[in-house]
Amino acid sequence: MVTCTGCALLCDDIEIVVENGRIKEIRNACRRGTSRMKGCVNRLIPSIYQKPSDIDSAIRKAAEILKSAKSPMLFGFSNSTCEAQVRGIGLARKLNAMIDDTSSFCQGMLIEKVLQKKFRTCSLEDARNRADVLIYWGSDAQDSQPRHLSRFSYFPRGESRQRGYEEDRIAIAIDVRESNTAKICKGHFYRIPLKGDREFILALIDALSGKVPSYDTKKILELAGILKKAEFGMVFAGIGLTYSIKEDTGVLLTLGDLLPNFHIMPMVGHYNMRGFNESLFRETGFVNRVKFNGNVIHEDKYSILEILKEKRTDALLVIGADPLLSLPGTVVKHLSAIPVICIDPCTTLTSKIAAVTIPCAVSGVESDGTAVRMDGEVIKLSKVVENNYASDEIILNRLMEAV
Amino acid sequence: MGMDLGRFIKSPDFEIRITTYRDIFQVEALEHDRFGEEYKKLSAAITMSKSDLGKMGLKSGDRVRLTSNSGSVVVEVKESKRDEPGGIAFMVNSPWSNAIISGETGGKGIPEFKNIAAKISLAKEEITPLEKLVPGMQA
Ligand code: SF4
Repeated sequence: MVTCTGCALLCDDIEIVVENGRIKEIRNACRRGTSRMKGCVNRLIPSIYQKPSDIDSAIRKAAEILKSAKSPMLFGFSNSTCEAQVRGIGLARKLNAMIDDTSSFCQGMLIEKVLQKKFRTCSLEDARNRADVLIYWGSDAQDSQPRHLSRFSYFPRGESRQRGYEEDRIAIAIDVRESNTAKICKGHFYRIPLKGDREFILALIDALSGKVPSYDTKKILELAGILKKAEFGMVFAGIGLTYSIKEDTGVLLTLGDLLPNFHIMPMVGHYNMRGFNESLFRETGFVNRVKFNGNVIHEDKYSILEILKEKRTDALLVIGADPLLSLPGTVVKHLSAIPVICIDPCTTLTSKIAAVTIPCAVSGVESDGTAVRMDGEVIKLSKVVENNYASDEIILNRLMEAV
Repeated sequence: MGMDLGRFIKSPDFEIRITTYRDIFQVEALEHDRFGEEYKKLSAAITMSKSDLGKMGLKSGDRVRLTSNSGSVVVEVKESKRDEPGGIAFMVNSPWSNAIISGETGGKGIPEFKNIAAKISLAKEEITPLEKLVPGMQA
């Protein structure tokens, strides 16, 4: 059995048949995971200023760029093993650099609250064994963590939920879009307007406190009734909810207080985003957006977005991320003006403009290590294919020695 | 032909709201080949309710230009297979949606991926190629 790194569910029941050093067959994984483990068609090659090079020269050049930069930044890490993440944080410390990961414009805010123990949460196994009311809020798990409902929430049998979805569990979707997950939550789909989450939460708070909610009164009262009866409830908080309420997580805390039987779990996409958040939190007390300068500074202005917008870095190392693909076009303009170092198994939009590219192994397929599942459980990754690609951990180690 | 030309001459602008989402088939294509046709086909698209398409005189398969304060992009318009109430259009997260997303964050580091104000109009041009969307990238 091997672990899939297609998303932060880190399914560890995958069977892989390898023949002649290549994956021949993948069993049990979903579409997303299968595609990830099969790998990309265009592997990255080592290069310097877009000319083919060798790994050693590429690493030397990368070290040179980082050392001579006044304001270097390291970004990515959500698709790296925990071991590589710890090396990355060490490298940032040694370089007096800024460091941030994709959680900065994703679920970082909620994960921080979980690590600070501001939310009641639980393991996915607890959810499978005990949960009777499941709320997918701004989360389309069916498309983003495709086996979430089948392995851990709605469909499986559980210790105290012998009859799964047929009788023992209610799944609810709250979303602006009738997602594939919402389609499964038949009769319990609450469509909200764009940015309507806060108002919906406030109405629910009213209903749970015995007041008449001003908004969609009948449906809110009906929902409040279901939630009050829950023995073990889950709020799977998706990116839709996070983007909508932004830093106003206080309303979610208040709602949590009124629902003592409920647990909140941020739905994480990238397989080891939570791993990075936990490692940085352990070392600095913050989950992202950090600058080292002998001490640790944490400010919003050290987020990758603000740094690129304000053009405040003169060398960027990107590992396991593709900011040119995932960030607004107006923000990433600065990337073509500075030396970018790109470490990735695959050619990416960002690698196409990078000053230095360094190919690495696909973690969980070509290199092993550990990763943190969306609920905080540490999961082992294995190496199933033997080849010459170095892991991102080894590459960062070598960079560390060279700077 | 004459009728088609007529559509372009009139082709008025409409104000729309767009929200982004994720799609498993598009992610699958991304993992396989982010420079490939499949990824482009599944990304460079906007989905709307039947009634919204009707109001704007558009039909599934038309190419449309989306313009916001941050940029402009040509994508294909599709009719939603769901029973949508209308008023919101949907795009998957990709360089095509990112081309019209504002970098405005109020200093908080998170762009408005889920709430984009844009104008839409029928377009004659081809779907914007990836190279055009990415500053400094060669094909
Ligand atoms: S749900 Fe996630 S971890 Fe599980 S097989 Fe699919 S992509 Fe892989």
